[in-house]
Amino acid sequence: MSKTITNAIALTLLWIAAIVTVLVLGTVILYVFVNGIGQLSLEFIFTWPEGVAAEGGIWPTIVSTMYVTALAMVIVTPIAILAAVYLAEYAIQGRLVSTIRFAADSLASVPSIVMGLFGLALFVEAAGIGFSMLSAALALSFLMLPIVMRTTEEAIRSVPKYIRWGSYGLGATKWQVVSRSVLPASMPRIITGIILATGRAVGETAVVIYTMGQAINLPVSPLDSGRPMTVHLYLLAMEGINLPAAYGTALLLMILILAFNLGARYFLRRNRKV
Amino acid sequence: MVCVLLAALLAITGCSGKREVDSELVVTGSTTILPIAEIAGEMYHEIHLDRKILVSGLGSSAGIENVATGTSDIGTSSRDLKPAEEDLGLYDTPIAYDAIVVIVNPTNPVDELTTEQVRAIFAGEIENWSELGGEDRDIGLVNRDEASGTREAFHKIVMGDVPFDRTAAVLPGTGQVRSVVENARGAVGYISLGFVNEDVKVVKVDGVVPTAETVVSGEYPLQRLLHFFTVGPPEGLAADYIEFVLSDQVQQTVVRDAGFTPISGEVE
Amino acid sequence: MPRTAPKPSATNLQLVSRATYLKEILLKNLFLVCACVAVAGVLLIFGFVGLRGWPAFAEVGPWAFLTGTEWSPTDGQYGILPLIWGTVLVMLGALVIGTPLAVGTAIFLSEIASPRVRAIVRPAVELLAGIPSVIYGFFGLIILRPIVANLTDGLGFGAVTAWFILAIMIVPTIATLSEDALQSIPPGIREASYAMGATTWQTIYKVIVPAAKIGIIDAIILGMGRAIGETMAVLMVVGNAPVFPESIAAPIATLTTQIVMDMPYAAGMHRTALFGMAIVLFVASMGLVALVRLISRLQTSIESGR
Repeated sequence: MSKTITNAIALTLLWIAAIVTVLVLGTVILYVFVNGIGQLSLEFIFTWPEGVAAEGGIWPTIVSTMYVTALAMVIVTPIAILAAVYLAEYAIQGRLVSTIRFAADSLASVPSIVMGLFGLALFVEAAGIGFSMLSAALALSFLMLPIVMRTTEEAIRSVPKYIRWGSYGLGATKWQVVSRSVLPASMPRIITGIILATGRAVGETAVVIYTMGQAINLPVSPLDSGRPMTVHLYLLAMEGINLPAAYGTALLLMILILAFNLGARYFLRRNRKV
Repeated sequence: MVCVLLAALLAITGCSGKREVDSELVVTGSTTILPIAEIAGEMYHEIHLDRKILVSGLGSSAGIENVATGTSDIGTSSRDLKPAEEDLGLYDTPIAYDAIVVIVNPTNPVDELTTEQVRAIFAGEIENWSELGGEDRDIGLVNRDEASGTREAFHKIVMGDVPFDRTAAVLPGTGQVRSVVENARGAVGYISLGFVNEDVKVVKVDGVVPTAETVVSGEYPLQRLLHFFTVGPPEGLAADYIEFVLSDQVQQTVVRDAGFTPISGEVE
Repeated sequence: MPRTAPKPSATNLQLVSRATYLKEILLKNLFLVCACVAVAGVLLIFGFVGLRGWPAFAEVGPWAFLTGTEWSPTDGQYGILPLIWGTVLVMLGALVIGTPLAVGTAIFLSEIASPRVRAIVRPAVELLAGIPSVIYGFFGLIILRPIVANLTDGLGFGAVTAWFILAIMIVPTIATLSEDALQSIPPGIREASYAMGATTWQTIYKVIVPAAKIGIIDAIILGMGRAIGETMAVLMVVGNAPVFPESIAAPIATLTTQIVMDMPYAAGMHRTALFGMAIVLFVASMGLVALVRLISRLQTSIESGR
């Protein structure tokens, strides 16, 4: 076959690959949207589930999702940022740094159910915190840590050297350079990374089931338990009795995650003028 | 932004006040009965705001033990008392029937089975519908998860000592079983009578059609009682609550919604 | 990286006050501790999950546990080989379907797409990554399973259905990493190839992909890790029968799905065995990460050895 024909065939196949990928995304989103949009109403969002078949709304699940995600974000952000600062600014390449990176990568690829069982064994049982927002948030933090660490480190590294040199030239100490020049300059990308990691945490199911329990509850203190939207969707789908509510939950969940994703993207673009 | 959201949430939740509760009833036991007890308990609380019913589902055995030792006021159980438990002095108030029906795909020509055949199917000994007078198609066995009260009941009533076929699909939910049987032609599964709808076909067992009447009359073999046990005949708050559970308000709504057959009031 | 000040010594002028110097050291160590949280995390996971799961290996015996073919806790049988096989089978199928799609999309994005098209496709891939697994599982359960059931005249639960759902889920992982690898190749190489009269496909196939080979392999390995660890989506479509399947359309179970199914009621040795399975999963995923690092390190040493 002539090279032109091979070229044409190959390019077509590659186009098809890309189109299939986009189509699949479109199908899944459309499917959830079309089936779930009928369910969305103020009532659905703000009332409680009632009855054996979970009629009514999903308000406590929405609150549970947001509560635990916010808590996890608060816990993981300082640690991850400072860790990234270390790796980007202070660390000397060596066995320790290599180990830290290996550990971070491992955490990033931990199967979520292993993280769930870990949370159960450590936070719920050994530490005695019980099924609660706190246990779930702690487990989620471990999941989010490598993501935020990696994006923050990249953000810091991407700050041009001349910004640092200017500060050093003025006699600043290392920490002053970092805290007053580098970090503020890389803030937009850091925040983007946090938002993306939070989006991941919102979609977690296995981790949360074993650390938060499944009881429907409106959490007030971090020690309260609850049921997040992902778990609610899972239970509704598996029971199979109230599919409309399942679709509605799925749609709200998807909207939330898309909001995080697109929000992060938009935020980054707006702040690109660093 | 998140802080504002959190603050708003806390404010809203703070608005739901809690009344002073004067008396409490502790109910523990079967996870199968849990939805009924819980929702009936909430309905009861709405009517009598000073009384609270605390319900938890730890299993029928735990429920029986708790009420016998006085840890709880009512012990719910989806199984009958074992011989060892008969001397505990427990009083039985059945609150509903749980009838289990065998369902197949609507296109399946098989109309009835004997209990032995059902057992053989679910043990994996019969693998093709043609052996039962149906079409030449592999039987698609659908089982429930081991935490399911329905599976436990089915096992006790039908299987006895014979183990389930381990290559069967294990589904964690009634609706799942129903929707799979509905569109997979060779599928067979079991669900509670109350969850049957027109999408699936019900099979006669030992010649009996499962209906509320044949269940109450005892003709339909695949059934069990759901029990509320108390130490001696129920008194005081327990008696009032149980009476509430036996009333139409609960029987015709909550009990039916949970897929069970009411034990009192209108049967059909 | 320029240093703040020369190390204070007797011969230097003190450029910073002692208090500031101490503060700097304190801060540095604080950050070090934060960085080590990741390491602590891994150790803790090994510790707590391992501790819970250890008796399974000790009492059942590692060989019997890992290669036993009967998973039947009610009969005291704790062989997880059918589950390991289930995990492997599901992962392999997903890779076979997902890798061409993912790498194809990556090549498309990197070499063929115009900026406008890229602006649609790349975000689409990233969004795919963000969709929670329950939603994929839901999709698989309601849409895909009946289709497979009709095609195979069975129940529709089994490896086949899981393959498709899992393939969609690992495409974003493999695609984004592969694309990064492709993008990191200097444009000069491409220009040289075109200058010699090569078609786009020839350039891709003979020049660019071989150059990015390591990065793409890394991406695929990480995709494997994702496939092994996926729980919810697989759980909803795979049928959960802990046996060696007779066909690819028969119900099976994986390590992850079995843990979720059994956990609610498992007690005693059964529960311990589940934790043991979790350790197996963790070790497997860490092993894949180590493999990726090893390959990267090999490549750097080959390149520097040149």
